[in-house]
Amino acid sequence: MIYLDSAATTFQKPPTVARAMTEALASMSSPGRGGHPLAMRAADTAFRCRTELAELFGLDGPEGVAFTLNATHALNIAIKSLVPPGGRAVISGYEHNAVTRPLTALKAKVSVAGGPLFDQEAAVRAFDELIAPGVDVVICNHVSNVFGFVQPVEKVAALCRSRGVPLIVDASQSAGILPINMKSLGAAYIAMPGHKGLYGPQGTGVLLCGDGQTPRPLLEGGTGSISLSQEMPDFLPDRLEAGTHNMPGIAGLLAGVRFVRRQGTQAVLRHEHALTCRTAESLRRLPGVEVFAHPGCPAQAGVVSFRVPGRDAETVGEGLARRGIAVRAGLHCAPLAHRTAGTLDTGTVRVSFSAFNIPQEADRLAEAVGDILRR
Amino acid sequence: MEYDLILARSVTYAQRMQRALNRAGVRSQLFRAPRDLTDLGCAYVVRISPYDLGTALPLLRREGLGPLRIYVQRGGDIQEVGL
Repeated sequence: MIYLDSAATTFQKPPTVARAMTEALASMSSPGRGGHPLAMRAADTAFRCRTELAELFGLDGPEGVAFTLNATHALNIAIKSLVPPGGRAVISGYEHNAVTRPLTALKAKVSVAGGPLFDQEAAVRAFDELIAPGVDVVICNHVSNVFGFVQPVEKVAALCRSRGVPLIVDASQSAGILPINMKSLGAAYIAMPGHKGLYGPQGTGVLLCGDGQTPRPLLEGGTGSISLSQEMPDFLPDRLEAGTHNMPGIAGLLAGVRFVRRQGTQAVLRHEHALTCRTAESLRRLPGVEVFAHPGCPAQAGVVSFRVPGRDAETVGEGLARRGIAVRAGLHCAPLAHRTAGTLDTGTVRVSFSAFNIPQEADRLAEAVGDILRR
Repeated sequence: MEYDLILARSVTYAQRMQRALNRAGVRSQLFRAPRDLTDLGCAYVVRISPYDLGTALPLLRREGLGPLRIYVQRGGDIQEVGL
């Protein structure tokens, strides 16, 4: 199987990830839940993982790194901490349901800062018009999970800072690939999965908490700290981590983060961007295929979508699966992104890369699409 | 043997204290706090030599890790030390 669905989860992981998880199962219990060696080994691994994440993403200390189940969990915490019921949110035109559904549940008044695909300046202008007094939060995904559009989060963050509006960054498609620095962004929260560009296992996610934030816990329960109090601790990360930790997951995530740091995010981005451009150019040569990429793929990371007029995206995806190629077809849990780009009626076929893909796999995809078109 | 115990509110804070002390060459060990040391239950202590307390306290304060309390442990007896 050629795996080109890393925007959902990176299936191929460094071998160190599975080894670390196996070792955790054999040698770790629960961090903060005892003073015996098994608990302390778990605490040490959790602390190392927080520390490496804090270093990678420019946090002052490891306590601002909270472990979650996934990016959706992290986004829910961030959104429900900052948006009161009926509150006001400004979001980009390319947000995932992980953002729009919690806002809908809160009955928030949502303004969409839309703009054409791959036009970063238009995105900045749209945010500039909408970020005004009374807005509770701005939410911007760094990279669209459908189109790979790299959004100008640094400029959006600057607007937020100048107008005193908290910012949540959804780094689901950028963590481990693009530079992200909490301190320079000044974001309130940055949410990310552990299982995509950080190469940890499924079931891991991270919420980075900015200075001075006191997030609202989604879960209450035991934290291994101030147990006589019936309130959740007011300090991080305990405030957000009720219940037993996913230690095999955290150990695997630590191994994944170390892999990313060894490779360097710039090298990963260069690799994925080259594969994206190669794929876009190959697909564009096929008659009738509409590829969502500009020549040279500026403002695009390791994701590219395409569609074939007259062919259902899911059918194309199935055809590729029969030919041994894993992609994602449909709406990708991001109807807003499709509405913004004008692809809501059809959806797209999405191809996404990781550090483990090679150019021949991208070429094989184009051959397979060509084969489908001939039938 | 006599030790000083620095109380931390969670394992993560205790680990940060330990890391800061290690960087300054201060040896330390991390333990669960005895129940009598905590008003709210479930905390951790970082144990150091009394000779290192003068180095440790300003260092921890500089790192934003002002300890909750300090205790001196002599054998089985533990007494709080005023900060």
